[in-house]
Amino acid sequence: MKIYTGTGDRGKTSLFSGERIEKNDARIEAYGAVDELNALVGAVVASLPSVPEGGVVSMQLTRIQSDLFRVGAWLATSAGSPSMAYLQPMDQEDSRWLEEQVDQMQSQLPELTVFILPGGHSSAAWAHVARTVCRRAERRIVSLLDQNTLPDDGADSLLTYVNRLSDYLFVLARYCNYLAGMVDQVWQS
Amino acid sequence: MRKMSRESFQAGVVGQRWLTGHVFEISFERPRGFSFIPGQKVSLTIDDITRQYTLINQPDASKLTICVGHVPDGRLTPLLARARPGEIVILSAAAGFFIYQSLGRKAVFVATGTGIAPFLAFIRNGVRDFCCLQGAINERELLYRDEVEQAAGEYIPCLSAPESNGPFWNGRVTSYLEQRLAKERYDFYLCGNVDMIRDAIRIIDQHFPGSRVFMETFF
Repeated sequence: MKIYTGTGDRGKTSLFSGERIEKNDARIEAYGAVDELNALVGAVVASLPSVPEGGVVSMQLTRIQSDLFRVGAWLATSAGSPSMAYLQPMDQEDSRWLEEQVDQMQSQLPELTVFILPGGHSSAAWAHVARTVCRRAERRIVSLLDQNTLPDDGADSLLTYVNRLSDYLFVLARYCNYLAGMVDQVWQS
Repeated sequence: MRKMSRESFQAGVVGQRWLTGHVFEISFERPRGFSFIPGQKVSLTIDDITRQYTLINQPDASKLTICVGHVPDGRLTPLLARARPGEIVILSAAAGFFIYQSLGRKAVFVATGTGIAPFLAFIRNGVRDFCCLQGAINERELLYRDEVEQAAGEYIPCLSAPESNGPFWNGRVTSYLEQRLAKERYDFYLCGNVDMIRDAIRIIDQHFPGSRVFMETFF
């Protein structure tokens, strides 16, 4: 199936709720960052260490990729539009699930008392990149919320989720190094 | 978004009806547990060949019906055209977000060819008071014209090669959009081939700023 329609060739695109907006709109910046994050999560999956625990992490990340589609759809929908009926907003349970995974990974890692350099195994390096893009997505979403054009329903849960996701990605980076038998490199001040 | 089910259904052919020389309806028994929202489509599979079609029946109908443009040298439509009652096809769960959303503005439906399908589903679910621009080569190709015209508040047949002098717009739907439709904010629903969709979007961006656009594209 072809994927190009040419309807966005003049710098505009359509929101899920039907509005035509400029492609440099703050909203597009926000869900574009989420899209970028999702692609980077895919890069983490593709580079996970070949150990049994990697399969568990892969399943977690696949769920996160699906959840990021929910985040993107929410960001692409205007407040008050009937399209909201088709959304599945993030809720606190989604964030709690992330916390459980963080706690599970962290219980196997040495306590962190110093700054570490982002890197190590390729999967860890990708997880760190994903973490930084997650932070950017969070900043864009906060800017967008300041404009009051997003649905209220789910805004708090969404922010909690994105914040928690960057925590998850940080711990995941360390966990990937742990699974690969590598040690996090400590920052030498 | 709501999760889309990945389940699939077996459905037997129950009937077929040719609308023109190259467009036909085909109906299937409704599998138990199958549900859809008017405007949604299904993936239909025969012999590992899959294509997507919009359901045009009422939501609670006992049969599922699609409208098919016959492509004689295509892979799937000749099989559908030859299908006999009782033959089994595989249908996916209904999917898609080309769904009528009442937003308080005038809705303008723009359809070419079998792109009228989702609008039929809307109409059969009770949608009224819309403006419909239906595009075709000539009068005979205006699929479901009577039903659409009766439901529409305003109905504009747009014919690119008319065979008579009847009341219609002599030209494509996009030229009507550009030259005749009053310049207001609308909720546009576009369904048809990619060239029409692309041209319509250009015109809407230029002449109808602030409008909302929902589209379903055929390639």
